Amino acid sequence: MEVNVKLFATLRDGRFKEEKANINENTQVSDVISKYNIPKEEVKICLVNGRDADLNQTLKNGDTLSLFPPVGGG
Amino acid sequence: MKGILAPRYERNYKTISVEDQNKLADSTIAIVGCGGLGGTMAEEFARLGVGHLILVDGDTIDETNLNRQLFSTEYNIGAKKVEAARQRLQAVNSSVELTLIDDWFNQDNAADIFSGANLVCDALDSIQRRIYLEESCHRLKKPLVYAGIAGWFGMLGVSLPGDYSVLKVFKDGRENDRGMEKTWGNPAFTPWVMSSLAAAESVKIIVGREPALRNSWLQADLLYMEFETFKISK
Repeated sequence: MEVNVKLFATLRDGRFKEEKANINENTQVSDVISKYNIPKEEVKICLVNGRDADLNQTLKNGDTLSLFPPVGGG
Repeated sequence: MKGILAPRYERNYKTISVEDQNKLADSTIAIVGCGGLGGTMAEEFARLGVGHLILVDGDTIDETNLNRQLFSTEYNIGAKKVEAARQRLQAVNSSVELTLIDDWFNQDNAADIFSGANLVCDALDSIQRRIYLEESCHRLKKPLVYAGIAGWFGMLGVSLPGDYSVLKVFKDGRENDRGMEKTWGNPAFTPWVMSSLAAAESVKIIVGREPALRNSWLQADLLYMEFETFKISK
């Protein structure tokens, strides 16, 4: 199945802004993060179809996954 | 005086009416952190005619601040940040009352610092202290405008008492108190852009307009020049 992966801010560096990813059934958010070699501590906000999601949420065909890093400087 | 604007505000009148200008003059805004974000916010509030600013920062200026912090110059390295703020802001608008807190915000001094404030601005650089600040603002029933920066990127939002938007956006800072700014730094353009956006949201709250970023946050990307707003789940 296919999900739409959107990366924001520093997570785009060396990766992409948006990409369709082919994944297996029962793939979780954390599996996608690993697939793109994103360190877990670099993901602060995780949205699935615009709603707050856990790293262990299972993705469905057609979902849009958006990942954001912590941006906490002043 | 009602119906009359000082010359410095005259040309704003279509954007900021006489009534709104008076509201700004009667207001107190507390800015927590006088670094990249807080310095520019303070400058803008002074130029906008906010009557009273409370500036909170226990730090001194060092050379690494020169890349972005408005109050830092080659002449005031080693000075207290709030003192540098006083000198700059008095030169910009001497009618603005300044309360300078040469200390760090914490949950114990929050009530003393913020009791007279109509609005609090989060210009901190610690995720955990941002969460504590929101908790304090919630307890003291103060609206909060928060911004965070790292490299080319920024985040901005508004948290009214009970919203807990900062907690929802930054989550827990105990394990990772610093964000991506620790590796990406904060070049001048990012704090200045995000401070200006924060100032615009702040003015709306003070004059009684609806802020645009309640229960949502703005994600700013200055590399791709993308600005996108995301809803925060309730």
